[in-house]
Amino acid sequence: MKPKAIDWDVVSSIIDDHKAEKWGLIPLLQEIQEAVGYVPPETIEPIAEALQLFPSQVQGVITFYAGFSLEPKGKYVVRVCRGTACHVKGGRSILRLMKKELDLEENETSEDYRFTLETVACLGACFLAPTMMVNRTYYGKLSPNKVTSLLGQFKKQSED
Amino acid sequence: MEAISLTINGKRVSCPSGTSVLTVAEANGFRIPTLCHHPDLKPFGSCRMCLVEDEKSGRIMASCVTPAAPDMSIQTASPRVLTHRKNIIRLMMAEHPESCVVCSKGNRCRLRGIAAEMGLGETGLYPMANFKAVEALNPFIVRDLSKCILCGKCIRADHELVVAGAIDYNGRGFRSRPATLLDRPLEQSTCTFCGTCVSICPTGALSTTLSGYVGSPEREQVTVCSFCGVGCLLRAGAAGERVVEVNPAGVQESVNGATLCVRGHFAHDYLNSPRRLTAPMIRKENELTPVSWAEALDSVADRLLEIRKAHGPQSIGFLGSSKCTNEENYLFQKMARTLIGCNNVDNGGVLSGRPAFSVIHERTGWGCRVNPLARLEQAEAILMMGADPGQSTPVLSYYIRRAAQKGIPLVGVDVRKTDLTPFAAAWICIRPGRDLEWIYCLTARLWKRFGHDATYIEQFTQGFGPYCDAVSAFNPERLCMESGVDLAVLDRAVDLLKGRKVTFIIGDGIMRQRQGPGVVNAVLNLALMTGSLGHDRAGLYVITRENNQAGAWDMGAVPDALPGRVPIGDAAGRRRWERAWKVKVSPDRGLNMIRMVEAAEKGTLKALYVMGENPVLSLPQHERVSAALEGLDLLVVQDILDTETSRLADVVLPGAASPEKGGSFTNMEGRITRFDPVVAPPGKSLPDWEILDRLGQTLGNPQPFRSVEHVQEEIARLIPPYGALNPMPDDGWAWLRHAEPARLFSGREDGPLIPFSALGDMNGDDGDETYPLTAVLRSLRFHLGSGTRSGCSRRIAAFAPPDGISISPEDSRALNVSEGDTVRIQSRHGSITRAVRINRDLLEGCIFIPTGVRGNDALNLVDLADVNAPGFEGFTRCRVQLKKQGGADEAQSH
Repeated sequence: MKPKAIDWDVVSSIIDDHKAEKWGLIPLLQEIQEAVGYVPPETIEPIAEALQLFPSQVQGVITFYAGFSLEPKGKYVVRVCRGTACHVKGGRSILRLMKKELDLEENETSEDYRFTLETVACLGACFLAPTMMVNRTYYGKLSPNKVTSLLGQFKKQSED
Repeated sequence: MEAISLTINGKRVSCPSGTSVLTVAEANGFRIPTLCHHPDLKPFGSCRMCLVEDEKSGRIMASCVTPAAPDMSIQTASPRVLTHRKNIIRLMMAEHPESCVVCSKGNRCRLRGIAAEMGLGETGLYPMANFKAVEALNPFIVRDLSKCILCGKCIRADHELVVAGAIDYNGRGFRSRPATLLDRPLEQSTCTFCGTCVSICPTGALSTTLSGYVGSPEREQVTVCSFCGVGCLLRAGAAGERVVEVNPAGVQESVNGATLCVRGHFAHDYLNSPRRLTAPMIRKENELTPVSWAEALDSVADRLLEIRKAHGPQSIGFLGSSKCTNEENYLFQKMARTLIGCNNVDNGGVLSGRPAFSVIHERTGWGCRVNPLARLEQAEAILMMGADPGQSTPVLSYYIRRAAQKGIPLVGVDVRKTDLTPFAAAWICIRPGRDLEWIYCLTARLWKRFGHDATYIEQFTQGFGPYCDAVSAFNPERLCMESGVDLAVLDRAVDLLKGRKVTFIIGDGIMRQRQGPGVVNAVLNLALMTGSLGHDRAGLYVITRENNQAGAWDMGAVPDALPGRVPIGDAAGRRRWERAWKVKVSPDRGLNMIRMVEAAEKGTLKALYVMGENPVLSLPQHERVSAALEGLDLLVVQDILDTETSRLADVVLPGAASPEKGGSFTNMEGRITRFDPVVAPPGKSLPDWEILDRLGQTLGNPQPFRSVEHVQEEIARLIPPYGALNPMPDDGWAWLRHAEPARLFSGREDGPLIPFSALGDMNGDDGDETYPLTAVLRSLRFHLGSGTRSGCSRRIAAFAPPDGISISPEDSRALNVSEGDTVRIQSRHGSITRAVRINRDLLEGCIFIPTGVRGNDALNLVDLADVNAPGFEGFTRCRVQLKKQGGADEAQSH
């Protein structure tokens, strides 16, 4: 499986919506990230031109925020929490298991672009520790069994 | 503005509101160490080195970004502040490689300097060097980002001063570094290699490649750059008698401040080129042989006097230099006029559009000579035409970019898009040589929409009505069609300029073309009509290619004017000079540079003395020029480099480059800058003024000057606009005197009004079936003029600037040539061979050829004709045909 081809019509219309807009860069990048799954490097120059910024400035903003990525990500982005509460509740072993199950290191994406494994400093759901997020869904009170079964579901879903 | 009073280190001080604590402290003599602060950049507050403490609140704050507030009680070096500062430096040092011994920043490294001042040696911290790959792909800038302290000065200089936008912070936290787009090498970014970032970097993160010297130079001194008409102040670093480094002088109020361009920053290594001339030489048995100065000067004097005796003074020509100092040009023309007795004096500036410059001088006199570049940033609207300052005068282009960023509308008109196009509010692409058409069209549209200044026109001018009727009589659609202009874009420009005082920037594309004088007249009319001439927030900026083009003319190194631009035919003016010099001056205008070559061909010119010019390369038709010079009885060449011209000489006199001598230059702003030698000239070579002074003595001048100051004293006394040259203010520079625009209008109440000039001749180049394309000739930023000096720079040579021609995609399809193909470009006068690059920024039917590369052979495409002759075709363009080389049929025919 390959990452989705960039739909330039969508990208161009997002850029046009924010043309010459003051302070429009971050909303624009968020929309592209949302629509494409990442901010393709090829879009930096058109974005810069539309907002009358230097391309290097646009890149600076993208690489500053963890929320923006210049690389395509998997269909499922797994974010394992490495916060204090999760750590105490065994978050480290959840991460270790996740690495083994997905055969990925942190910040890696599987070759078939099904999974991306990331860690975050805290998901803000300490009462559910240990926690993780898959795309926009929280999963709490994790155990090795729960993780294995969840991953099984995702793997199955992504094959469909 | 409200005054604020506060206490710093127990001293009661006051300042206007809005001043930063750092500025107040410095103004009152308290030194606070800084790393990220620079007076020309906006405060940033990233390094935290300037921490101070407010005793009242106990707050510790970065003084560079904290505005002074009433009743603050600041301590700049309390124990608490010092502890914090030391810790910050220790942390920076722990991340910094300990490579000071081999670091080219040497003792100028600010990190090392501040650590030394605070008595920090070993940090006592675990070293955590943040290694990054060293990038040294280009021959100008080395980036060793492991030494980067993230002060952001390079980025801010790039964005705020040069406005190139090549770099910005990339990543965050420990991984944060200044980077180009996608971390590409600099040469693939929008970097212009101006080197501003290298000079402003407080550590060794950015340094210069190929220096041949690593570390801090033994001494540094301010001098003036001679690589274009802007005349930037340089700080030249010397080791022994060798200039090993060049940085912007960073003097406030100087034309360049903290910026420079690739030529100024990096091409000065030509000073140490093996091609430098180091001893006087005389041709003996057809071989240039080193001789003593006495022998060389005696030989020149004897032979000049012999030739004058045999053939008269008109058989001798003097070619001065738009690159030499005012003092040298003054001495040079004085020698020709008083000791030889002819007006055959010129300088290389004639090639930069002398007839068009003459029009400006005739119509405005000295009145429009002072145009400080700093005023560009206060302009109401800028109209730039035929100019590519990003290539020709990069420091001027920074002013334009900064102005555009401030929201000043910029209208650009040129035959192609340039690196300023993205900054323009309107960009008009025209066909080469069709300037009159668009200016008349713009004038008519501006009038129709009441964009003119009626009060000004009424008060100061005459002939507006008939002029406007004449331009309005043209059909705008037809004018636009002929000039290739889109009427909608032109109307947009009209909207931007309407009702505003317009600042004009005129470049080579106008000045050096055939219709130059006519176009300049039309531009001056436009300036009168918009009430811009003489207005504070407007100006007339004419780009001078050479560093002392303006000064050489002012000093009289021209065939038709005496010093002070006194026309040779002006009897009263001439008499003033005759009285001053105590000799008779010939009232006949002499030969200009091109006429001298023609006279040499005919055999009427027997001797030519060339100072600091390389006519064989700088004039069109190199072979013809070379043959003409070979036919002379005597060719004296005074130069700093072994050139194509000096190789033909009978006598070679080695001169000095500007960092090796004292003198003054007059730049395109009308600013006279005086400088002293940084190093001695190499070998036996001498400052050019000294050669001329000694030669003058040998020729019979009883009163030699013996020092530059004495020459300056005479210039200041006899040429009123140069009155400031002696005594010169301490800054080392002054504006031309009596050259304020007010002079144009003073006493004009009942005096003559400024007339609108008549319409010019709109005959463009006629289409031609044999030569269907128009070639535009222009230099790129890596070379100046013929590339004689920049061609001797190791760095420029190693960079190998692009020398291919550019062609529009439409033409490439029609001619069936693709990117990288080799083509032969043929004009009526010659041909050259080049690789092709396809460029969307060009109009169909137009090709672009860079000059100054490959021995400036592109000039062989144009005709060698006098700039004043009716058949003159200009030096900026010519009709050509293009043929693909290396094809199958081509191979057979060889």
